Amino acid sequence: MRKNVAIIGGGQTHHAARRHDVNQVELVNEAVRAALADAQMTIDEIDSVLFGNMEFFEGCHMTDCWLVDGSGAYGKPGLKITTGGTVGATIVGAGVHHVASGLFNKALCVGFEKQEEGDTGAILSGVAHPLFGRSLAGAAVGYFAMMATSYMAAWGAKEEHSAMVAVKARQNARKNEYAHLKLDISIQDALNSRMLSYPIRMLDMCPASNGACAMILADEKTARDRCAKPVWIRAMDTAHNEQFELDWRDVTTKKPIFSRVSASRLYRKLGVDDPSKYFDVFEIYEPATWAEMVWYEDLALCRPGDGFKLVENNMTAIDGPIPVNPSGGVLSTNCIGASAMLRIWEAALQIRGDAGGHQVVSKDIRRALATAYGGTNWTVLTALSGTMDD
Amino acid sequence: MKSAKDNVELISIPMVVDVPYRFAAGKYMTRFLTELRDNGKFYGIRCPLCNRVQLPPRIVCAVCHVKNSDWIELGNEGTLVGFTIMYLPLTDPTTGKPHEPPFAYGSVRLDGSDSVIDHFLNVEPVVEHIRIGMRMKVALKEREDRVGDLGDILHFDPVT
Amino acid sequence: MSERVAIVGVAQTVFSPKRPDVNYAELAYEAISLVLESTGLSVEADIDNAVSCSHDIWDGQTISNIGITDVIGGHLRNEEKLAMDGSTAVYYATIGILSGEFDCTLALAHTKMSQTNRNIVNNTAFDPIYSRLLGLDFTSAAALQAQRFMSRYNISEKQIAEVVIKNLANATRNPWVHNKGFYTLDQALDSPVISSPIRKMDIAPDSDGAVAIVMASEKKALKVTDKPVWIKGVGACYDAHYLGDRDLSECYALRSAAEQAYRMAEIDHPRDEIDLVELGDEFSYQELLWLEGLGICGSGEAADLTCRGFTSFDGALPVNPSGGLLAGVPTNVAGLNRVAEAALQIRGEAGDRQVGDVRIAVAQGHSGFCGQHQCVIVLGRE
Ligand SMILES: [Zn+2]
Repeated sequence: MRKNVAIIGGGQTHHAARRHDVNQVELVNEAVRAALADAQMTIDEIDSVLFGNMEFFEGCHMTDCWLVDGSGAYGKPGLKITTGGTVGATIVGAGVHHVASGLFNKALCVGFEKQEEGDTGAILSGVAHPLFGRSLAGAAVGYFAMMATSYMAAWGAKEEHSAMVAVKARQNARKNEYAHLKLDISIQDALNSRMLSYPIRMLDMCPASNGACAMILADEKTARDRCAKPVWIRAMDTAHNEQFELDWRDVTTKKPIFSRVSASRLYRKLGVDDPSKYFDVFEIYEPATWAEMVWYEDLALCRPGDGFKLVENNMTAIDGPIPVNPSGGVLSTNCIGASAMLRIWEAALQIRGDAGGHQVVSKDIRRALATAYGGTNWTVLTALSGTMDD
Repeated sequence: MKSAKDNVELISIPMVVDVPYRFAAGKYMTRFLTELRDNGKFYGIRCPLCNRVQLPPRIVCAVCHVKNSDWIELGNEGTLVGFTIMYLPLTDPTTGKPHEPPFAYGSVRLDGSDSVIDHFLNVEPVVEHIRIGMRMKVALKEREDRVGDLGDILHFDPVT
Repeated sequence: MSERVAIVGVAQTVFSPKRPDVNYAELAYEAISLVLESTGLSVEADIDNAVSCSHDIWDGQTISNIGITDVIGGHLRNEEKLAMDGSTAVYYATIGILSGEFDCTLALAHTKMSQTNRNIVNNTAFDPIYSRLLGLDFTSAAALQAQRFMSRYNISEKQIAEVVIKNLANATRNPWVHNKGFYTLDQALDSPVISSPIRKMDIAPDSDGAVAIVMASEKKALKVTDKPVWIKGVGACYDAHYLGDRDLSECYALRSAAEQAYRMAEIDHPRDEIDLVELGDEFSYQELLWLEGLGICGSGEAADLTCRGFTSFDGALPVNPSGGLLAGVPTNVAGLNRVAEAALQIRGEAGDRQVGDVRIAVAQGHSGFCGQHQCVIVLGRE
């Protein structure tokens, strides 16, 4: 990157299952206003607006065009980027490119989803090839169920372990005023919840949320002049997997796959030896409990097959040595087009010390890693730090 | 206590968006589906560089960035590599109707293929009856009922 | 721009009303393999980023860049999709290379309009609460814009028809397009009315096709080709969404996008400094309106300019010598095809449609109805 780029502000909506009180324009605008207020900036100061969501999830083609009044893009340069579940992070990447190019000083990144306005399950089945697999596509839940059976068979993990992840997420969410599912649940509650697709139960899956997230990125001079606590974007890496070959995830595979390839590239860029020590907090995109444990392994926070042991030993609890998803994560809030951006924003809040009720206090947070997850096994990884020296 | 705000009527507008499509299968899927329909055979395609046999057949090997070339006949038996029992009445977008739950479905690696194919498993939807590593055999519709799409496969039967 | 970015290769498929023989990945690969062959570049060794333009609703697949990940070389790499006109792929690829993050980007746009229905698809681009229920589509919205434009500046249907006649005649020189021929004014004015004042011949016809181009940093470009086409300036801007919020005879967004691009390219007098324009004539009247937005002439002057032959194939400033979108270029692909045609003209490789010596060319693309989002690219030989 030719220039250093910092997050100088951000904001999010109070995510919820029902937001009948606002239309899509108004929902997006809540996050944009929050981000501008946080950055102490007006929309007039923004040079470009980068926008994204899951195309057509709200029954609208070209949402960027309709939502210009809410996003603030009217009269400005801007783009609509769509890369599935990773889009929120892809937009941030686009913001980084815009600022680093030297053509723009301040870029506003906006991601949103108003899932209640469309049929997400049916549309997600449309991810499958129209002539190969679409008629029996199991949407996201079927994919994660097969990953889970593979994980259990390979490493000997039990349903109890996924239940622990389910509880951790929702108990953390109770500390997060913006989270959607703030559930005071026990492991037994998780194990008793309705079976959706063996071994995935209701509480193993993310909810369908309505919400938006916005972030303002700026060049170094603007960041230092205008922001008391800039958070620096130190490195990003994207890897998309091919179309067909990971429709079922064998957790024992030795093949180079998206998550591991991307993590190793990012670690090389930053000179990371042990990510569990290098980063102080993680915000991981885990649409299902089992995916969180697989992410631990793919990110090399532990050895392959040991992911469930991290959970078992409370290592990734909010007060553990490797805090993962103090915000409650995607399991507690999934407004898809915003979810990957929320991971980055939550990681930035932790570094700023501004996460409020879910701030990690057991250690000093200087560096954070955020992941995105979507498409057919795609990811975008983002490494953040509080100073350029870290 | 109810505030005045709670009494404001909220209007929502119901709408069904119905977009018709007619998808071209393309050169590779056409040959695959034609063989399946007419001869009940599965064909994969092999990459000239890495030699992996890919199913469904496609134009480019994504790993090697080269055009795939050799058509390989696969067995109609294979090994179960992953499964789930689905309790959700998922909509079949090709018919608009739900599949009746619970049902088992899984990923099978057909003999001779490096890829897997997902489909229904004709086994009792009970975890104890399904095992990763089970041998499975394809059950096709009768020739006269096959139309040239993946629905020509009924399910996989366990090999006994 | 301190650093420079160049187009180093250009390829397109034949555009035809229907390509039942290929799916969209195979269609895209036709253009991709051609551009790789012609530049001698390999995905493995040379390309480090891919940007494509299309829409899920056109492709009939959720997250439709899944379908082209393999053929665009996206496996385990960076690959992004813009749900916008193809011109934005060039805009974004330029920014990516200038950022220092990427060295060589494959830009693609693909659409098979034949696999669905443009009126239904385009109706869903209107907000679902206020405008969509009227049943508007891009053609009926364009008719409102055309009517407003024509009545404000006293432009006749005959003057608009001159655009059709010019572009379809130009298209006879272009082997890649399918809608072409030498028509008379009477023939154009006899074409059936679809949404008054727009007639069938005023509308870019449904087409299937793809365009791929390769863009690179200056250092890389000079290694790859001795005929780089430099990106001199880029600009983009959104207009308001609601038709009632805009004066449809104004080009608010296009003026802003053009101003950004010209400033970067240090163009002060566009009409004198630009040698060629390729623009998005999705509807014939738009060629006139966009020329005004691009600052080639004053408001309401483009019709006279066109009738005087100023924009003809052998005129002072040829506009759409390729035949433009009216000649049959798919939606979404539209703007990338404009850039590709402009690049071919600068390289002197436009074949029978080469207009002579082109040093500076402007390409324009738009997304949304009545050109809500505008993107302008200035290309140059030096
Ligand atoms: Zn290969």
